[in-house]
Amino acid sequence: MTADKERDVLVIGSGATGALSTMVLAQAGLDVLCLEQGGWVEKNEFAHTHTNWAWQRATNWNPDITRRDHPDDYMMGTDSSQPLMWNAVGGSTNAYGAIWPRYRPSDFRKGDEHGMQPNWPIAYEDVAPFYERVDAILGTSGLTGDPAMPPRPECPTGPLPFTKAAKKLSEGFDKLGWHWWPAEAGVISEDYDGRPACNNCGLCNGCPRGSMSIYSQSVWPKALEAGAELQTHARVLKILTGPDGRATGARWKNRVTGEIVETKAKIVIVAANGVGTPRLLLASGIGNSSDMVGRNLLHHTLVSAQIWVDEQVDGQMGYVASVLGREFAETDTSRGFVNGFNFNCTTSAPSAGEMATGWMSGTKAPWGKDHHTWMEKRFGHSIGLFAIGDDLPNPENRVYLDPTETDEDGIPVVKMHYEPGENDKRMMNYMLDRLQDLGEACGAFDIQLNDYRDADGVYRTPAWHMIGTCRMGDDPATSVVNGWHQSWDVPNMFIVDGSVLATGGVVNPTPTISALALRAAEYIRDNFVDLTTTERTLAA
Amino acid sequence: MTLQDAKKGALLAKLAPSVAAFVDELLPGGDGWPSGATIGVQFPLVERLIEQNGEQALMALAETLDRIGAPFDGMDPDARVEAVKSMEANEPARFGWLRDAAFQAYYESPIVVTLIDAAGTPYKILPHVSGYDLPRFDRATQTPRHNRGRYIPTDQVAPVDTSGLNLDTVKTDKWGLQR
Ligand SMILES: Cc1cc2nc3c(=O)[nH]c(=O)nc-3n(C[C@H](O)[C@H](O)[C@H](O)COP(=O)(O)OP(=O)(O)OC[C@H]3O[C@@H](n4cnc5c(N)ncnc54)[C@H](O)[C@@H]3O)c2cc1C
Ligand code: SF4
Repeated sequence: MTADKERDVLVIGSGATGALSTMVLAQAGLDVLCLEQGGWVEKNEFAHTHTNWAWQRATNWNPDITRRDHPDDYMMGTDSSQPLMWNAVGGSTNAYGAIWPRYRPSDFRKGDEHGMQPNWPIAYEDVAPFYERVDAILGTSGLTGDPAMPPRPECPTGPLPFTKAAKKLSEGFDKLGWHWWPAEAGVISEDYDGRPACNNCGLCNGCPRGSMSIYSQSVWPKALEAGAELQTHARVLKILTGPDGRATGARWKNRVTGEIVETKAKIVIVAANGVGTPRLLLASGIGNSSDMVGRNLLHHTLVSAQIWVDEQVDGQMGYVASVLGREFAETDTSRGFVNGFNFNCTTSAPSAGEMATGWMSGTKAPWGKDHHTWMEKRFGHSIGLFAIGDDLPNPENRVYLDPTETDEDGIPVVKMHYEPGENDKRMMNYMLDRLQDLGEACGAFDIQLNDYRDADGVYRTPAWHMIGTCRMGDDPATSVVNGWHQSWDVPNMFIVDGSVLATGGVVNPTPTISALALRAAEYIRDNFVDLTTTERTLAA
Repeated sequence: MTLQDAKKGALLAKLAPSVAAFVDELLPGGDGWPSGATIGVQFPLVERLIEQNGEQALMALAETLDRIGAPFDGMDPDARVEAVKSMEANEPARFGWLRDAAFQAYYESPIVVTLIDAAGTPYKILPHVSGYDLPRFDRATQTPRHNRGRYIPTDQVAPVDTSGLNLDTVKTDKWGLQR
């Protein structure tokens, strides 16, 4: 065991939220060390610049941690959802799509609305300024003036090209009289901050050229320039606490040398994502007096459709998201359920091979004599539609540690269980019917729906959103952190990643996760001296 | 050499023509499209099979192809198709993997990519490197004018009536595609 010097702040995880926190606190002149279990992903390590990029996306770049064999991953099991993440500097943003919509004010007030979810301890208005600030740091694109959302200033760069797929979809939405709007993206439509504008390649699972904001390229350079220290291949095994209940630092393994190191710190920030954070807290035996660590896992209700139209819409080109539809975003109980959902419309598969092997709906090209005719009719003619809704929390949907199986470091293997509830099922039925309506309104000659259930009926959603597992609240009995992300039990430990989200909203969460992390980091910066001695966490 | 070794040797000896013939049943040529074997789909297929499933997968493939009569010498076209269909029915998992891997290898071939592009669907071998040209967003003509959509401001979020939902008592058994 090697003892390391004491730092002002220790950040665990270098993904979206670890990057932002490290940057803010290093820029304030604090001595910050970030520990990341993975390494840097070099530009030519991404699949994008290899001729076999589509194959790599299904194999070594498969975002499902249980379906690839990567040395930077910890062991994980699931009996249901597909846990999607990437473990490296920049975290899951190395593989994400950067669809960039914001939460709505009502997402923070579900307790008032129907009481089946908690109110957040903060409101939309608390987060709104941080959305703007994150957008300015990353560079985003989009169009202002959406009547379905609170007003906002212009995005740093204008909207991405309005593709033929977007045009086709807009006609379908118009026919139905439903809302639609060009998709916001964590992608720059013009050169920004030394990074080049998007070139419409369509391969949006990460983006080595840097047009999409992967945080290793947009945020980490700023953090390092400010003097932050980043230790890669450093897997934290345990967060250490003292007799007063305060965190004293962390024990971690240098995965290159095998050395075990203990680093002391005045403040510990956990940013290991909706799985990695509960895994670490449970393995450390801290922060869980509420028994809520790992529970209330949210993924969103998710179903999808793939449609094919006669016109050539060339969905293989252009940024992955085309338009968003917010017609059903608010609760209307006459539909038979609470909460709402969004349409996240994409372009299509960028690869003919992916199209032939069942992209999105699982509909595969036939083999044999009809193969080429099928492809001629369908490649360039397909559009993908997701419906994504606000799922209700259930403590039994959770991330937990296996009672017997351990990994190479002696840490229990992390497991995931997720099952939609009654409200979620009703919502997904309704969503599938509306996807069918939309496909018909677009004049599709084929509409294939996907409910993500396997042959045994198990819902195996692609879980690119893993949130809620250390939720924030104003009651220590039902939440893990307060409105400033401060652990109720360990007053100098802050959880800043996606696990703190108390509700899922109807959208991709990273704009909100990032805005919250920026807000939390600035709170820590502004209260650093007090936090180095505080022994009690108060409601925010 | 044991009898078993001799049998293995014979199977492996005909593996190359067998995989090529199998690939050509999956992806026959015609109407300007090259067949799978013409552009060498069988080579990445076999490499990837081993990468994903280990070296023993090669022998298993040889045995499977032998069972369906590959390389199909002397069989008429319909009989070849029937032979591949029998593999699809009897070994769906293995067949599915081989079909998908063959499709992927075919469409990553620079020759096929170029043909797709030449036929009028813009398509590149390395789109991320050179990108696709798309016109910039035109605010004058492409900004939505529908004026639809609403949100509830924080101070107007009000209780909704959930009394008719009966979420605890009325259960949805048929959901998803079974609804
Ligand atoms: C395929 C895919 C597509 C997505 N698309 C979108 C999208 O379009 N829009 C959107 O809003 N969101 C999207 N997301 C989600 C988005 O990536 C996440 O919301 C975001 O990255 C969460 O940030 P985070 O900081 O919470 O966690 P992450 O970015 O996952 O970072 C966590 C980091 O912690 C590290 N870590 C974990 N445990 C330890 C340990 N014990 N020791 C040291 N390090 C550790 C991990 O290695 C990782 O680098 C997508 C995700 C995926 C996987
Ligand atoms: S379409 Fe744009 S954002 Fe997506 S991968 Fe290509 S360059 Fe990056």
